[in-house]
Amino acid sequence: MELHASYIQILALALFAIGIAVALTRRNVFFVLMGVELSLNAVNLSFIGFAKTLAFEASIAGQIVPLFTIAIAAAEACVGLAMIILIFRSQDSMDIDNYSNMKG
Amino acid sequence: MLLHLLVLAPFVSALLMLASSGFDSKSTARLAIFFGILISALSVLSIVLGSQSTEAIEWFRLPGTSVPIFYSLASHGINSWLVFISSFVSLVALIAAKDSFGLHYKNFSMGIFALMGAMNGSFLATDAVLFFFFFEAMVLPAALLIAAYGGADRKRAAMDFAIYTLVGSAPMLLALWYMLSLSSGASVIELALVAQNLPSSTKTLLGFSFMLAFLVKTPLFPFHGWQAKAYAEAPSPLSAVLTGAMSKVGVFGFIYWLLPVFDLSASIQNKVLFLSLFTALYGALVAMRESDAKKLLAFSSMSHLGLVVAVVFTGSTTMLSTVLILMVAHALSSSALFVLTGVAERFSGSRKLQEMGGYASKNGVFGFLFVFAGVASLAVPGTIGFVGELMALISFWEFWPTLVLVVGLCMIFSVVYTLRFVQAVVFGPLKKSKTPCQRLSVSDALAVGSLLLLIILWGLQPNWISKSLQNPVEITTQNSLQELESEEAVLAEPIQVEVSQDAF
Amino acid sequence: MIPLWLIPLFPLLGAIILGIISLASSDSQKGAPEFLLGFIGLLFPLLSFMAVLSLSFGGANTPIQETLGTWIDISFLQIQFGFLFDSLSKMMLLFVTGIGSLITWYSIGYMKHDRGFARFFAYMNFFLFSMIILVLADSLPLTFLGWEGVGLCSYLLIGFWHKDSQNAIAGNKAFIVNRVGDIGFLIAMLVLLSVGGSAFLSYEGLNAGLAGLSQAELVKIIPALALAAFFFFFGCTGKSAQIPLLTWLPDAMAGPTPVSALIHAATMVTSGVYLLARLSNLFVLVPSVLSIVLWIGLLTAFWAAVAGLFQNDIKKVLAYSTISQLGFMFMAAGVAAFDVAIFHVFTHAFFKAALFLGAGAVIHSLSGEQDMRKMGGLIQKMPITAIVMLFGFFAIIGFPGFAGFWSKDLILEKLFEFGAMGPYLYAFALLTAVLTAVYMGRLIIMTFFGSYRGSLEKSESIHDPSFSMLVPMLILTIGSAFAGYLWATLIPGANWFEQTLAPVLSSAQNHIHVQSVIHLSPLVFALVGTVAAFFGLFLAWFIFNRPVPLSKDSSDPKGFGASWTFLWDTIHQWTSVFLVKMASWFMSVVVNHFVLFVQWLLVGIVEILSDGARAIQVRKVRLQMGLSFVGILFVILIVYVYGGAV
Repeated sequence: MELHASYIQILALALFAIGIAVALTRRNVFFVLMGVELSLNAVNLSFIGFAKTLAFEASIAGQIVPLFTIAIAAAEACVGLAMIILIFRSQDSMDIDNYSNMKG
Repeated sequence: MLLHLLVLAPFVSALLMLASSGFDSKSTARLAIFFGILISALSVLSIVLGSQSTEAIEWFRLPGTSVPIFYSLASHGINSWLVFISSFVSLVALIAAKDSFGLHYKNFSMGIFALMGAMNGSFLATDAVLFFFFFEAMVLPAALLIAAYGGADRKRAAMDFAIYTLVGSAPMLLALWYMLSLSSGASVIELALVAQNLPSSTKTLLGFSFMLAFLVKTPLFPFHGWQAKAYAEAPSPLSAVLTGAMSKVGVFGFIYWLLPVFDLSASIQNKVLFLSLFTALYGALVAMRESDAKKLLAFSSMSHLGLVVAVVFTGSTTMLSTVLILMVAHALSSSALFVLTGVAERFSGSRKLQEMGGYASKNGVFGFLFVFAGVASLAVPGTIGFVGELMALISFWEFWPTLVLVVGLCMIFSVVYTLRFVQAVVFGPLKKSKTPCQRLSVSDALAVGSLLLLIILWGLQPNWISKSLQNPVEITTQNSLQELESEEAVLAEPIQVEVSQDAF
Repeated sequence: MIPLWLIPLFPLLGAIILGIISLASSDSQKGAPEFLLGFIGLLFPLLSFMAVLSLSFGGANTPIQETLGTWIDISFLQIQFGFLFDSLSKMMLLFVTGIGSLITWYSIGYMKHDRGFARFFAYMNFFLFSMIILVLADSLPLTFLGWEGVGLCSYLLIGFWHKDSQNAIAGNKAFIVNRVGDIGFLIAMLVLLSVGGSAFLSYEGLNAGLAGLSQAELVKIIPALALAAFFFFFGCTGKSAQIPLLTWLPDAMAGPTPVSALIHAATMVTSGVYLLARLSNLFVLVPSVLSIVLWIGLLTAFWAAVAGLFQNDIKKVLAYSTISQLGFMFMAAGVAAFDVAIFHVFTHAFFKAALFLGAGAVIHSLSGEQDMRKMGGLIQKMPITAIVMLFGFFAIIGFPGFAGFWSKDLILEKLFEFGAMGPYLYAFALLTAVLTAVYMGRLIIMTFFGSYRGSLEKSESIHDPSFSMLVPMLILTIGSAFAGYLWATLIPGANWFEQTLAPVLSSAQNHIHVQSVIHLSPLVFALVGTVAAFFGLFLAWFIFNRPVPLSKDSSDPKGFGASWTFLWDTIHQWTSVFLVKMASWFMSVVVNHFVLFVQWLLVGIVEILSDGARAIQVRKVRLQMGLSFVGILFVILIVYVYGGAV
């Protein structure tokens, strides 16, 4: 069966929706983070899908951008986890609803 | 190259200071003073060498405009003197802060160097956006230093200062952006060309936007709300830099970025002139009643600078040299007074005049320097202030003889508050002091002494200053307009920019 | 030939050396040895006196002009450092440096054991430097340099004992009032500048310029010249303590007595008269201003003479008498008799310095007591001082033969010869002369006659001052006796003074020629003057030769005396000080607070708005995230709908 271009996009969209849903609905902060990561990867998938299906000149960008995204996502995950650990130390809670102590 | 050094060397010095030891404040101070002397020497060199300019380096393009923003510097007499003032006053501040800052000295010196670099940049910039960049960049180190090392109410003072100056210059940014979207470049001449072709109402609006930034920076009534508090709360060496050098950026803006760009109508110019004169009177009158030593000095600064700005708007033929001499005079005497007031504040542990007094009987050198600095700010003949005020009086006389009486009134008032101030601080019975009023350290005395020496030296030979304005072009609106019209044809080529820069 | 710049250089060097010594020793307990300091302090004024002497009597009699270099050279404003040594500046310099040296000598004894010894002599030297510059300058701006310099020294020396705030405040007052006059000087220079350019600022240029103008050209600029002359005179009223700017001089007595003698009697306060003489060619062109000068002089002389009657403080009496005598000098200038005015300056310098030094010796031996009600009978205890002061006294009241007799007589004579109004002016001035004898007689009687009324334990230690103080006093005494013979009208040929000044002043004085109505022989004036002096003397004897009630209150006058004495203070208080204070209050309390209020209001509005904006903010992280997601969708939707071409 040939891999149709739109399948990849549908899969990416599904993953993205799942990621967003997880980020918005779960109260555990790790799940929120995982949801964000998932949506990021969904976007990567979408890029790669287009790189595969579009013409050669445009496809280069589709292969390069995910590399950047992966690098940034890794850094973001590092920072995010570090922050969560620090917050966890001071708050003693994993519940993201408790994390709204910022003024304003 | 020299000009690049003048702007970049302070920033580099700030970075190098970062690497210095935070615990050995003495060697840190030595390093900072060494850099300060070096930069001051460079600024003297730039005065000696006369007008010069650097290659224009393209920096970036503002979105919405097609104009490249250049990093380009030029010196043209008046601004090399102002660069000297900013470097030298900063050096004095660095020396004066040596004994009072202890372990914080490192951070303080970094702030002062950053401030110095920003001031030098704004004096030397030929590109409006570059000028604006440095103009705003000044606020940051100054506000940080106030907030970090100021008096009891320092946070509030720093916030007031930062918000006032940033909000004041925001309209200028918008006006500049708007003009750049129509312009072919960001130099004075090109901006003036743009302004010339605008309808007069738009032009006036843009002119006011520019003016507001300088009115706040100088400051003139009624935009002085930040000044007294910031000067009072700032540590004294910083106050010396703020009043001695930073306030000059506002005046410089009037001369270099406002008048040549917008040919403001005579009635607007007159209004600004009267506003400045009113500021001069107002500052003097408020200073008479002020009981906080540093606020008193702040208002006296305001009074003097009001006079300077008023001279700018008389449009007299000797305006440039008069204003330059007045600015040099004010920078030297006011920074000397601020540094000495800082010492007095250290003696008494308070800024209140009632809690000071009698230091002359305990500390002869301090008393001598204080009286000297006080008298030097009164435009007594033999000091540079006299030459400046005499020239100012002539300018006003040409403009409208009756104004001379107002200026005379200002001079009398300045005697009243200055003598009251001197008497309250150094004369009378010795007040109980917090720290024993030990002798002034040699470096402090040398720093203040060199300021006072320059006051006398240039008071007897003011030509050294005025002669360096080699071709004092009268920046009256009329002249700049005619100049523009004659050069309009050739201005399409960017090379012409440099040629016309030399005219200033 | 001695270069002119040496004359001011000597005291300047002295000031710098002594200043450095004073600063360097300010931390030590004792300070440098007083003998050495006194030597240095006296050496430099003496050197410059020698230089003046050798220039005056050694060289040719032609004016010497010397230009040192450029001071200000900014477009049209060109001012040189230049000195002019003509007969007028010669005359002034002779007694400025001469009497300056004498009084410096006297001060060595007077200031003994004062911690500020070095500082005092540094100031004195600096004062002499400024005064020499004032007199020797060949242009108005340079004169102004000296003019403000002497004012500055006066400020520093009045507040010399600055531990007492009152002294410092008196110094402030002197500086401020002088500054008001100085603004007049500045404005006058501006007027001249606008009339004739930089050339008019130098004396030679001014004289040549005025002489070179044709009648028609002159008429055109007369109003401007009148304005200039008026403002110059206004400046003089400040420096020379005339109505309306005279209030500072009595307060200036807070300074050490040698200072009062040198600065506030002999030299600095007469610089106004010098300036009038210097600008005589300008003043004679504007008779209206000269008549102002005349009337101000008359009124000041009379007012101060009356005020002198009410004073109990010995120095205050002398201060008011100085004001009164200055009034006489301005009268002379007002009738265009500038040489007579300078002559009175000259004689007055001797006898007033003698009086002040005598008073200083009295105060010194009474350990600082200045109230005449606590003196009396001192002639037995300090006879030499009494003789010195009596000589000064005879000179000031115009006792025949003494210095003041000749000069005051000349003034009265010139007044009488001044047109139809002359006799009335003469009568008024004569009345003032009688009053002079009365108040000075009161001073002498209260101080030296009767019985001692002070506290007893001091009585034994009262004695004549030491030798070093006596010598200068005696030299001045000789001067106050014989200085008048340099221009004695009754003795034919004794008019050296007039002849010396003639090259500078005669052209101006011949310009105004008012025919006198009645011709009288000089002998008549001398006779009337003598009668007036004796009359005043007897009046004083009858009124004041009686026991003085003991009093413990302050020496300030009371009742009518107070309101007369402080008349001008009160006028200043209500016309200017009060107004300025009101304005200052209004600006700092009302306007400044209004500005701060507006600022506060703006900040308040912004804060309220930001509070409102804050209310919209939700505090749930997940909800925020959701909303931002919706926001992104919204943006995408808009881009989609409008095709990205917003």
